[in-house]
Amino acid sequence: MNDTAYLLAVIFAMGAVTFGLRALPFLSAHWLRRSPVIQHLGRFLPLAIMALLLVHSASGAAREHATGPWPELLAIGLTCLLQWRSRNPLLSIVTGTALYVLLRNWH
Amino acid sequence: MGYIPLGMVFGFLFVQAGGSWLMALLASLVVYAGAAQYMMVPMLAAGMPVSTIALATVLVNLRHIFYGLSLLDTFPRSFVLRWYTAFALTDETYSVLTTLPRDTPPRRLALLALLNQGWWVLGTLLGALIGTQAQVPLDGLDFVLCALFAVLTVEQWRARSSPLPLWTAVISYALAAAVAPRHALVLAILLSIVVGVVAHKREKR
Repeated sequence: MNDTAYLLAVIFAMGAVTFGLRALPFLSAHWLRRSPVIQHLGRFLPLAIMALLLVHSASGAAREHATGPWPELLAIGLTCLLQWRSRNPLLSIVTGTALYVLLRNWH
Repeated sequence: MGYIPLGMVFGFLFVQAGGSWLMALLASLVVYAGAAQYMMVPMLAAGMPVSTIALATVLVNLRHIFYGLSLLDTFPRSFVLRWYTAFALTDETYSVLTTLPRDTPPRRLALLALLNQGWWVLGTLLGALIGTQAQVPLDGLDFVLCALFAVLTVEQWRARSSPLPLWTAVISYALAAAVAPRHALVLAILLSIVVGVVAHKREKR
């Protein structure tokens, strides 16, 4: 984390990739908007990709320790419940993460 | 304003992982993507190749392509404001902009986007400064990324038009993890795109 050239390369690569994705519809608006498949994917993919990222990151975290997937399942369950009820991302994220840190550092 | 604490979490984790506050600030100015920035911290700490991190960023931010599509007509026409607003189209900003009335002046959209990034950058700075003061030797702080994905999944679920994408994702991931555990995420996203296209064709008939 002290290699400035490496950090700069990563930051600007990530910035370019992110900007490219966000700007794409403005460059190719006509083609994209006329395509009914793209319209449908626009409704289908965001939920699918979010769920995939959730499952992927949670199973990655569960593989890092020996206690099984219970801390992840409990903390994600709490986070989802809070978000569903409160619609307050900060409350959900902080409480869910606090429960997770507590469970992981218990012993 | 909700962006200040979330930015603080990023700044704090970045500095705790051994990075400088200046680099954390630069990331929030240049990258400006919540989930991708949380993701970059453990990847940087592990010294992963730039190409791997860039590819992971494509996967995490792929959904942003569809954000611009629904806002095309309401965006500012001026060159600078238009491209800045596109650059700043994060999950949070998107959800704010889509709740505005349709006759909102485009300049206001750009201003709101700028304000959101301002809060995010300020939060990053505060979190980084706190992070340089004390080392917190706790396991599991990087769970914030999982928690953020959980929050975004709940919000996408609330806005869903069908439950199919969720089941597609779960089944695709199980299949992909069984076939190619090391490339499970990429494979599962490709599978989900195929299912999405097929579901569309069947709907049309």
